[in-house]
Amino acid sequence: MATAELVHEPRARSMAEGSPGPIGRDPNTRHFARVGWGFSSPAFGVIAAFTIFPIIFAVVLSFQNVNVTGSGFGLQGFTTANYHAMLTAGLWHHALWFTTIYTVVTVACELVLGTVFALVLERLTKGRGMMMALLLIPWSLITVISAELWSYIYNPTYGVLGEIWHVITGASPPNLLGYPLDATIALMFADIWKTTPFVAIIVLAGLVMIPTELFEAAEVDGATGWKTFWKVTVPLLRPTIGIAVLFRVLQAFGLFDLPYVLTGGGPGTSTQSLAMLGYNTMFTDINFGPGAAVAVSTAVIVLVMCLVFLRAFKQQVGKETISA
Amino acid sequence: MRSTIKGAPSGRARRRWGVSATGAGALAAALGMAVVTAAPSSSASVAHAGTTTITWWASPISTSGPDLRKTLIAAFEKANPTIKVNLETAPTNTDTNRADLVTTISGGAKTPDVFMGDVIWPGQFGAHGLALPLSKYLPKSFFNRFAPGLVQGASYDGQVYGAPFFQDQGFLYYRKDLLAADHMAVPKTWEQLQSDAVTLVKQGKVKYGFVWEGASYEGGTCDFMEYYADTGGQVLNSTDTKSVLNVADVTKVLTFMRGLVTSGASPAAVDTFQEPQAMTAFQDGQAAFLRNWDYAYSTSQAAGSKVIGKVGVAPLPTFAGRPYPGYSNIGGWNLYINPHSTNIPADLKFINFITGVQAQTIEAKPPFSEIPTNAAVRANPSIRKLNPPFAVLAQTKLVPRPAQNPNYPKISQAIYTNMNSAVAGSTSPAAAAKAMASQLNAAVSSSGL
Repeated sequence: MATAELVHEPRARSMAEGSPGPIGRDPNTRHFARVGWGFSSPAFGVIAAFTIFPIIFAVVLSFQNVNVTGSGFGLQGFTTANYHAMLTAGLWHHALWFTTIYTVVTVACELVLGTVFALVLERLTKGRGMMMALLLIPWSLITVISAELWSYIYNPTYGVLGEIWHVITGASPPNLLGYPLDATIALMFADIWKTTPFVAIIVLAGLVMIPTELFEAAEVDGATGWKTFWKVTVPLLRPTIGIAVLFRVLQAFGLFDLPYVLTGGGPGTSTQSLAMLGYNTMFTDINFGPGAAVAVSTAVIVLVMCLVFLRAFKQQVGKETISA
Repeated sequence: MRSTIKGAPSGRARRRWGVSATGAGALAAALGMAVVTAAPSSSASVAHAGTTTITWWASPISTSGPDLRKTLIAAFEKANPTIKVNLETAPTNTDTNRADLVTTISGGAKTPDVFMGDVIWPGQFGAHGLALPLSKYLPKSFFNRFAPGLVQGASYDGQVYGAPFFQDQGFLYYRKDLLAADHMAVPKTWEQLQSDAVTLVKQGKVKYGFVWEGASYEGGTCDFMEYYADTGGQVLNSTDTKSVLNVADVTKVLTFMRGLVTSGASPAAVDTFQEPQAMTAFQDGQAAFLRNWDYAYSTSQAAGSKVIGKVGVAPLPTFAGRPYPGYSNIGGWNLYINPHSTNIPADLKFINFITGVQAQTIEAKPPFSEIPTNAAVRANPSIRKLNPPFAVLAQTKLVPRPAQNPNYPKISQAIYTNMNSAVAGSTSPAAAAKAMASQLNAAVSSSGL
């Protein structure tokens, strides 16, 4: 029985010792607080201008009857019609379904593959840096560029994949981007290729943080490799995996550039993600109200997903009990 | 632009334009005056030295060789020393281009002053006030310089928003050498084209018979409109307010388009083809027939092409039993003015110059070889000779896309997504035609998602 409790020490003690009384009453502290606010106000200003204001504006737009004119947005009164139009649109249902499936499949695959890569990398005694650098190439490529590359690979007339297929089977190459299911899988594959290294690096960082004594103890207790992985490695990796998943879900749910370049949302609208739908509604159809509704609802959905996630994983952090 | 536009001017009309062209100089001079008096005062941005600078937003027109935009600007600045034109390069993707302009202009930006925009934009830009109604600033006589139908296509709700800059349309490109070897005539019907293509593929002379644009994007609507117009069908009613799509005709068209793939006349991948993919297959010598725009001729004859000297150009075929030739879809670009521009008189002078005889002659001649919009230049036989697609222009019939409705993007989407799924075989032609009709109704009536 090996039991390890990871408990965080309270950090504020040393700071509290220095201050004689409650914060508000000490002129010195008040002075420092003012200085602190002063120094952070430019940052707050920037955040307010470039993050908070656009968010509020998008929410306002989504509840307004918006008339786009040459002289700006005419807001013509409160309405819930934008959300009604969105909720009743088949396009939105499909985009939501597609984006969700896409997120679940790609994040799950990336997590499994990333963890495998991380475990291999951790055991490498030679050339780990080299391998990490190689692994990071897909991640370091700009998505638009890698999407263009994939479109050449998938192209059935002059694509590499089609040629390989033709040489092996003798049959004419498959038209991967021409059918909804094939195009979805092709997109997912390109995404997994690109983002698995990111997950691997995060998981690797988590792996090297696990004290080696735990593995030694497990070995002494006679645990098999498989059992050690599930009972020691995975539980201790949970916070790291939580962060990796959080990042990936946020990114995958906002999917835009890969289908925009690779499939244009097609064939038909079968690979149109929520972000693409919002963009097309706003900038192709010049229909800002419903477009804003799509954008805001997507943000709300992903926010709720992340909060649920954080909660689930937060309970684990610092309370891990490993028992074998 | 509901009614079908008859191709290029007839001989009689040509003479008429020719006459008006002789007075072009006088018209331009009169126009300059009219412009200055008609436009609201805008001395704010005129510099002390007396020169005005305007910004022209335009995507690259030629992909290689000299830049048409810069050549035209140089000619304009020479003729108008007090106006400087600052070129701002726009995205080549028409949808990205539009998105940028919508954000910029609705945000109230004063530049660009003049922008080059797609022929399908007048409805949307007019309805949202994103372009200046040129007909309020220019005399009616100004628009007489353009070939028939073009001004109508640049109008929305009784106002002209765009000045036609260069025209484009679908052509049939074919391999002269292959047809000659098999004693085949240039196909005049789609059915003939299909069987010729199948024959040439079966003989192993080419990998693909006929390549065209079947992807799920705006270009798919262009190709569809050509087949559909050949059946006599219309998409919207005469006031552009209601869908009048004929489901039976659409089913026939989609059955034929899908049949191109199943018969082996076109590659299965044609449902992912946009212009570059179709062009690449043709110029690599892999295809016998190509449906493409004006640029395809010069591209097929440029260095690196494997079909130099082997390419012929003809009007598009039609369905058996219908009058030859078939319809060509209208493409091309207009010049629009930003309603916030503070240099409207200079903007109008620029538009007047670019659509005038001198500038239009420059763009019509090699190496640019665009189809001019100015009727006088179009009527000039010496210019026609230099540009093979331009030479067959007189024989072609044109069909516009139903772009006069402000919801055109959704209308087009209803067309190309369903065309694409029928060509891919993921939906039956009949089901795709029905879906197209119902999505068109929704697109025309609602401003929903």
